[in-house]
Amino acid sequence: MEEQLVIESTHAGTRTVTPTLHRDATAKWFLISSVSYFFIVGMIALAIAAKFVWPELLGTVSILTYGRLRPLHVNGMLFGWLLACDMGLTFYFVPRLCGVRLWSEKLGLATAGLWNVIILGAVVELLAGHNQGLEYAELPMWLDILVVIAWVMYGTNILMTVATRKYQQMYVSLWYTMGTILWTPFVYLTGNFATLFATGVNQANLNWMYVHNAVGLIFTPVGLAIAYYFIPRASNAPLHSHRLSMIGFWSLAFVYVWTGAHHMLHGPISQWLQTIAIAFSVMLLIPVWTVVYNFFATMKGQWQLVRENVSLKFLMSGVVFYLLTCFQGPMHSLRTVNAIVSKTDWIPGHAHMALLGGFSFFAIAGTYYVLPRIYNTKLYSDTLANWSYWLFMIGGLGFFVCLWLGGFWQGWQWNNPSIPFIDTVTALKPIWMVRFFSGVLMFAGITAFLYNFMATILYAGAENETHA
Amino acid sequence: MLKKIDLDARLFVGAALALFFIGGTLTTVMPPLIDKSWGKPFENSDPSKGPTGKLLPYTAQEKKGLAIYTREGCWYCHTQQTRTLLADTKRSGWRGVDAPVSTPDEFVYDSPHMFGTKRTGPDLSHVGGKYDAQWHRTHFRNPRDLVPGSIMPPFPWIANNEEEFQALVAYLQRLGRAKNWRPDNDYEK
Repeated sequence: MEEQLVIESTHAGTRTVTPTLHRDATAKWFLISSVSYFFIVGMIALAIAAKFVWPELLGTVSILTYGRLRPLHVNGMLFGWLLACDMGLTFYFVPRLCGVRLWSEKLGLATAGLWNVIILGAVVELLAGHNQGLEYAELPMWLDILVVIAWVMYGTNILMTVATRKYQQMYVSLWYTMGTILWTPFVYLTGNFATLFATGVNQANLNWMYVHNAVGLIFTPVGLAIAYYFIPRASNAPLHSHRLSMIGFWSLAFVYVWTGAHHMLHGPISQWLQTIAIAFSVMLLIPVWTVVYNFFATMKGQWQLVRENVSLKFLMSGVVFYLLTCFQGPMHSLRTVNAIVSKTDWIPGHAHMALLGGFSFFAIAGTYYVLPRIYNTKLYSDTLANWSYWLFMIGGLGFFVCLWLGGFWQGWQWNNPSIPFIDTVTALKPIWMVRFFSGVLMFAGITAFLYNFMATILYAGAENETHA
Repeated sequence: MLKKIDLDARLFVGAALALFFIGGTLTTVMPPLIDKSWGKPFENSDPSKGPTGKLLPYTAQEKKGLAIYTREGCWYCHTQQTRTLLADTKRSGWRGVDAPVSTPDEFVYDSPHMFGTKRTGPDLSHVGGKYDAQWHRTHFRNPRDLVPGSIMPPFPWIANNEEEFQALVAYLQRLGRAKNWRPDNDYEK
């Protein structure tokens, strides 16, 4: 009986909703700006990868130095691309899962406008070196305040849509979206405001609580909301188990927030707090494995669809990367493993697999799925979409694998104090070269994605004009 | 229970926030209340209890140096923590003396904290007094002149700005100096 309900609510959108119900103006603007930032910030990503190989490159201009471009890369990708794209996709599926129109398109468009002001403001401020000095919380105060305002606007719109829903039962994607909306303010306020009233280790502890939960309680739940919506949609199969998805959700809600201190293992922070963080980091395997099992079981007997469907390609590869990255996380929270990999190039390899390989793949998949539907047209080129997949995949694998190998090797060298530090730097130069060329492939993937995206919109516009 | 939450949005909101706040409070608000060393500056005058010394508040010039260190993103590549790993104490050491492990009471005045997460360049938790100002000036102009193979960017706009350069060096020379860990007191200026 319970399973029956779920199947109905997943298919509810297509059964009763007429195509004219949804206007999707907000979703469109969020997607257009996020995909554009993906491309622009991708260039910055390439520039900083190049600086590892050619340290003199653009090196004597203060606004183009590594220390200015890196925060721009991180913030641009996190907030300009990924979070904005995720918000755009929720603006698409929340009204559909609720069987009603978005509560307010006007408010949505204002949110999209404000979000662009924030991103452009961030570019100027970060290049000028106005950096608060805390990871992921680099933006100056006035931008932090605008982010909070924009989030309240976004949250109000989504929650009001849920409040006016036609279908009483809420599908998993709705819980995850609502969870994101509820947790984000507290996580963000901790990282950007509470830290200002603390110093030293206390501040660092708040900072890591924010950094870890920015990924764990913002990008993870909204990313999973997207995967939970689009995997059954793109494969045209009902979700395997509603009960399992509940276990995954509520264990995530409980476990994630405890793990912040694992960023300072062996560091100057209380040992007992490190141990708590380790224990809860290992427990993260529960929400991750229940979610991943559910996705795989949904695909059972449908795997042949992956060959033809580019959205499913991105989705299922994203699930595999999510599984891997969330296996790495608990493992290098263990003290013995941490003593080797912590602070090395392994860590960016791990972080990129989560945010690029996992959540960005979900966002790209969602965008490919949604785009033709909101513009009432066909994707400009399926071939190009496939190319973008393989470029991301090969570039991504090259990036992840070379940094893991390089990072592990680096960690072993560091643990032998008879090797001078500079020799551990020069040893990694071939690794950074491979990373740069993997970056070139991924950037080509972004370019193909952007081109396909824009061409679809422009052709749709031209088509509609001829019909009129 | 799970089923109820599934149908009632208000119950959902309450449960999601409650679970979050249990872990959130216990791991952020409680620890500094239990472990007092997080907020008490290091001070020791008894050699039998480890290195002597005292953590001093920042001078105006050192504070300016920290601001420059923050602005240029030095902390993206240099950590400031000698961890409880033998290799860390040796690498942060100097002239055959191992550095003491970093403790929370050495960082009480730091805001923003500069512990860092990535060690592309060497750890700087005990760099204070290892190199003199002239070395730093040459190094900021072009790191490869002094350390062949280095991938640190050049910072000519700091090396050529006397006020900024002096502030940054003052900041660097203070790092790791709260604990008096070098018996010869052979600190460079």
